[in-house]
Amino acid sequence: MSPLAEVKTTRRGLFKAAAMAAVGAAGSGLLGGLAPARADAKGPAAPPFESKFSVCDMCFNRCGMIARVQNGVVVKLDPNPKFTKSRGMLCARGNAGVAQVYDPDRLRYPLLRDGGRGEGKWKRISWDEALDIAAEKMRQVREKYTPSGQLFTAGADMQSEFVSRFAEVFGSFNVTSHESLCLLSLNRAFLDTFGEAPYADVINSKYVVMAGANRFEALVTPDSIDLMDAMQRGCKLVVLDPRHTKTAALANEWHAIRPGTDLAFMLAVAHVIIAEKLYDPAFITEKTFGFDELAAHVAKYPPAFAEAQCGIPAADVARIARELAAAAPASMVYPGRRSSDYVNSSQIRRGYAIVNALLGNWDKPGGLLAARQVGLTPVPADPPWYDDNQEDRLDAEMSPMLFEHDGSFVHTRDAVLSGEPYPVKGWFIFKTNPMQTAPNRKKTIKMMEAMDFVTVVDITMSDTAWYADLVLPAPSALERTDPCAGLQGSSACACVVKRDPVVGAMYESRPLFEIVKGLAARLDLAEHFAFTIPEYRAKQLAKLEGAEAILDRDGVYYNPGQVYGVYEGRIFKTKSHKIELYNQRYAELGLDPLPVYTPPSTVAEGSFRLVIGRNALVTQTSTQNNALLGRFVPDNSLWIHPDPAAKLGIRDGERVVVESKAGKGELAAQVTRKIRPDTVYMLSGFGTLSGGLSRIKGKGASIAEILEDAADALCGNAAMHETLVTVKRKVA
Amino acid sequence: MPNKQLAMVIDSSRCIDCKACMAACITANAVPVGCNRNWVKDAEPDLAKGAFRGHFQPGGCMHCDNPTCVAACPTGATFKSPEDGAVVIDRGLCIGCGNCIPACPYGARFRNPAIRKADKCDYCAARREQGLSPACVDTCPTKARVFGDLSDPDSEAARLLAENKGRLVRLVAAATDTKPNMYYLGVTEPRNWPVEPAPPTAMAAMTGLVDPLVKTAVALSGLGVLAMLGRQLFTKPTPPHDGHGHAPGDQTPGSGDADRPDNRS
Repeated sequence: MSPLAEVKTTRRGLFKAAAMAAVGAAGSGLLGGLAPARADAKGPAAPPFESKFSVCDMCFNRCGMIARVQNGVVVKLDPNPKFTKSRGMLCARGNAGVAQVYDPDRLRYPLLRDGGRGEGKWKRISWDEALDIAAEKMRQVREKYTPSGQLFTAGADMQSEFVSRFAEVFGSFNVTSHESLCLLSLNRAFLDTFGEAPYADVINSKYVVMAGANRFEALVTPDSIDLMDAMQRGCKLVVLDPRHTKTAALANEWHAIRPGTDLAFMLAVAHVIIAEKLYDPAFITEKTFGFDELAAHVAKYPPAFAEAQCGIPAADVARIARELAAAAPASMVYPGRRSSDYVNSSQIRRGYAIVNALLGNWDKPGGLLAARQVGLTPVPADPPWYDDNQEDRLDAEMSPMLFEHDGSFVHTRDAVLSGEPYPVKGWFIFKTNPMQTAPNRKKTIKMMEAMDFVTVVDITMSDTAWYADLVLPAPSALERTDPCAGLQGSSACACVVKRDPVVGAMYESRPLFEIVKGLAARLDLAEHFAFTIPEYRAKQLAKLEGAEAILDRDGVYYNPGQVYGVYEGRIFKTKSHKIELYNQRYAELGLDPLPVYTPPSTVAEGSFRLVIGRNALVTQTSTQNNALLGRFVPDNSLWIHPDPAAKLGIRDGERVVVESKAGKGELAAQVTRKIRPDTVYMLSGFGTLSGGLSRIKGKGASIAEILEDAADALCGNAAMHETLVTVKRKVA
Repeated sequence: MPNKQLAMVIDSSRCIDCKACMAACITANAVPVGCNRNWVKDAEPDLAKGAFRGHFQPGGCMHCDNPTCVAACPTGATFKSPEDGAVVIDRGLCIGCGNCIPACPYGARFRNPAIRKADKCDYCAARREQGLSPACVDTCPTKARVFGDLSDPDSEAARLLAENKGRLVRLVAAATDTKPNMYYLGVTEPRNWPVEPAPPTAMAAMTGLVDPLVKTAVALSGLGVLAMLGRQLFTKPTPPHDGHGHAPGDQTPGSGDADRPDNRS
């Protein structure tokens, strides 16, 4: 039986009805405060739709939205103009939230595997049966392998904290997130320099160096919008990228840097700033630790060194350093976001942090800002004690500077496969898709096979769900009551958001909260979930008087706190209580206390470094099957420079096979000068295995299949730009 | 002359080609697969010659003051609204003949396969009735698109036009200035893409293919339109519509014509 196909026509019918309804008119009142006053309005015609606040869920940004609802159907999502983090905008993916709700490929009811793993044979079961089975399997894992024998993995979601809460009361140390496939190297570097991961005050900056980031395509709010505003006011943007991205196309300067050499550039910039005394000596003395050691260290890295490594003329490196310093403190090396690139990415990003420290831009307009208090009160669990448990996380010993709450997916997977230091046999996954986002898919499949029981909660049949034992349908963000979440966004906001249902939950879908509540009840843990989400929210908002009413009125609550100068009279959360140019903990652990340049692996003639990325219409795999976004990005292709393409006899549009030590994939070549001759590029999100994603089936190649599974030596973040590939014409 | 003149003022230097405007439009207007009411054009730099700076240009129906599509419509279904100056389609009158499609220099029109009639941007008329701005304008991340009534000096669009005198660009075909109500601020690229409007193919739509009842209705209601159509057809020969670009025309940025909407005082 293929339950996935069953209800499709009905859903299509509903979507069609929604579209038709957009044209028609059926009255119901606008919500108070939600009717924007426009000068060009034709007068007070009866509004045909209701307007309800929500928060976007098409990526991690959580932009503010107003849902237009007509006859119980969401017909349009518009930006919330009062939402400063997203600057009153909604991107293409946000607009595509409607297509996500009414996706005919959505999961409809609990499915239990009824064939081989990944074979795609499922049996429809009831929720009671599903929760009974899942709880019983968890109980068995706990009895046989201790509570830590169960692994929990959750993506970015306003209900993911309930997965962590459940793991905690269940007794497992093993929780991983998407973070170790994304930004941990960046966080590591800035935490170990400034004591916290900052927010870039792009809007007030006068000079931005952007390396390893693509803000006009990989949108981050408010940074992407603020960068354009700053540039309109004269901010200079220098982009270092092996690809000619849209960000590069709009920059004042673009340097097609050799991949993996950014640290050489940063060290040379530091060299120039120090050698030419372009820093603020008072700031350096008062706020930083290890300046003399840094000066001695970067003496080895003059601009000529950067030229040899990066392929950027030494004169340009020196000039950029001087221009950065001249604009300081309203200048920055943009910290970035996804930094899962190289085995030394934490040290590479330390180079970014150190240049920022030399610019003295900390806590100042146009520089790097500290996180602010949003004011939410945590609602901690009171977990029971388990005598018979492991000591620590499975991957605890595999990275010297692991993030305890995020772990390392790559290392956890290796540990599951080896069974060392202890067996992990149960896996509960919520709304994340490691089968497609983690490098080396073959290993993830083996990890699945090593599990006794895998439960996946998601909205559609992701590749990860396809390999699970039990698949539980979740509602989309527009169908749920969610707890409050605090958001940060440079000078734009420290704010609180919440979600209430815009429409009712579709099919038999149940929110994650109800699922873990049901599991907790079956595992004698009910007391830890003895609340409703509105009750939980009330506790979160306990210290923010009147916030709930403001949330209902505006869709967002701002905590007006100090933005700049918050570190006046405060210590940095580092060992020296200063900005650590020289990291003392690293020295104690035998790690390089100052970032030492190590060149990337050599790309031999006939091979290429594979780099990955995304654009403004793609959020990795979570948007891959979206009907609206698929109109813009129906497939992925391999960017390859015309020179190597000519040597390989590859013409634009021809099918090619890309192969690494890990695996291979087939896709169309895009022959373009937008990429260096020694590098190829692929968009993430294609080459799926699942039979439940009808629009994407058979399209493009998967990064997960081709990427090898290196990891950051410090924090275990995946290192996804270490893979070298060959490219061949597909022989028919 | 209309009482109002709705228009779009676009600062294409703000556009990042994220295509939010296109996604918003598709959703707001149920635009079928394969069709679009708006677009973002990409002026790709010649990387082989060392150029790298690109430019993205949002666009859509330009709601012209001299709309060749109106002239091409045999039934009067396409007309310039006397109320707000938007060029709109009365779906009840449209017979789906398709004459208006090549008559637009901008490729802004398409035949909607779901309704078998001409379709294009109407500045989100349904949204405007609810007091909302057009979906593309509302959603635009960098606010590259600004919409408003040029006859209202307090509108943001009118203010932008006034503030940017001398640096306004209107995109027009080489030999035919349709007097578009879409103004670009400063430099915008690409510029030479509008094509010469193609006249309706003979009077095929009026003779063999159309239901006699429709013909009668048209004959009764569309005499003025027919007269205009005839004038367009016989007094001004134009090259055939080839759907491609042509030699650069006289679209000088900051030309006097572009600076001042010339149908208002």
